[in-house]
Amino acid sequence: MTNSVEEYLDALKKELEGSDSATIQDALVDAEEHLTTALESARETQPDLDEEDALDQIIEQYGTPEETAAAYVEVERRTFPGLTPATVKKQGSPLGRFFGIYADPRAWGSLFYMLIAFVTGIVYFSWAVTGLSVSISFAIFIFGLPVALLFLLSVRGVAWLEGRLVEALLGVRMPRRSLLPPKGTKLLERIKVLVTDKHTWLSILYMLIQFVLGTAYFVVLVTVFSLSLSGLAIPILQEVFNLPVVQNYDVHYFLPQWGYPLVVLAGILLWTTTMHLVKWVGGLHGRYAKALLVTD
Amino acid sequence: MVEENALTKKFQKEMNAGIASLALLSVMGQAKEPMYGYQVAKLLEDNNQGAPIMKQGALYPVLRSLEKSGLLASKVEPSVSGPPRRYYTITDTGRETLALWKEIWGQTKSFVDHILKGVTND
Repeated sequence: MTNSVEEYLDALKKELEGSDSATIQDALVDAEEHLTTALESARETQPDLDEEDALDQIIEQYGTPEETAAAYVEVERRTFPGLTPATVKKQGSPLGRFFGIYADPRAWGSLFYMLIAFVTGIVYFSWAVTGLSVSISFAIFIFGLPVALLFLLSVRGVAWLEGRLVEALLGVRMPRRSLLPPKGTKLLERIKVLVTDKHTWLSILYMLIQFVLGTAYFVVLVTVFSLSLSGLAIPILQEVFNLPVVQNYDVHYFLPQWGYPLVVLAGILLWTTTMHLVKWVGGLHGRYAKALLVTD
Repeated sequence: MVEENALTKKFQKEMNAGIASLALLSVMGQAKEPMYGYQVAKLLEDNNQGAPIMKQGALYPVLRSLEKSGLLASKVEPSVSGPPRRYYTITDTGRETLALWKEIWGQTKSFVDHILKGVTND
């Protein structure tokens, strides 16, 4: 029925749609912890057990996504009767839905993510380029290998960190994998895992691409934001501060007053549309990050 | 038939609401060291002869709500493989509350048992 822990978590998330986001997060974290631990112990006690059968049995005891979701909602309701968040109702009218974007935490999360991607992009890029060039140039020395391995290890750390950031701001679940292989793994085995895992290399690629994306996000957002803001500001600048729209030496151009509603409206529409776009791009980026950074 | 089933389910749910908190608090009160969810679920499973009264998944939100009320404390620690685990311990308030809850349970239990055995009307 359910083939993987991931699948269960997706179903659970769907069941909890509309609940408080902290509750959803708790439920997902708890379920992941329990199912993974149970699966692991099943593997230890019955090594020849089929993975899917084992998972079915575990879920039978844990409860279906539906039952689990109901349990969280119930406890939440009982604990904080006054604080249960009114579920954000989907605005019916197209206009309401269009402006409802300002109440959408995901849109704001994406916006924030895209702005800080400028900074993280620069940091990731510098680190990746430095690490790669140092590793390659030190390869002729005996200590070149440890340096290269340390760099690859740091890439795993960055991938983990970026994953947390993506999950928090873009709302795309990134499965938590431990950074290191289990205790007791031989050093050589660890190194082999690190070097052969394609996600180590894809993470380096991600770090390089993030610079381009981060810069593009930042430039586009700042430009559009300034443009929208200027639309709103023109009436104030002209009427209150007596500043013209265009000023070139002694040529002053003032926008006629009938144009005020038009520029203000254009400013509002432009930014609201951008918020929708930001949310959409945020979702895309999240999926792309998931594909590159974590093992399925 | 359907209605009877739904009623019974509702009854079970309402009973569980308090019992789960008491049972979990009691388990944590007896625990010698911090426990994580799976251990608690396993312990309850091993100590239950009949059919389980609630799904394991329903234990977790109760643990969290006990923590929110200050009866349990928790810390997250990375595990060797897989996601990090949340370890729970009972707090001092938790112990005091447990003692009170045990008393209430004792009273409730003897009262209900007495009623179920049959009431005398003299």
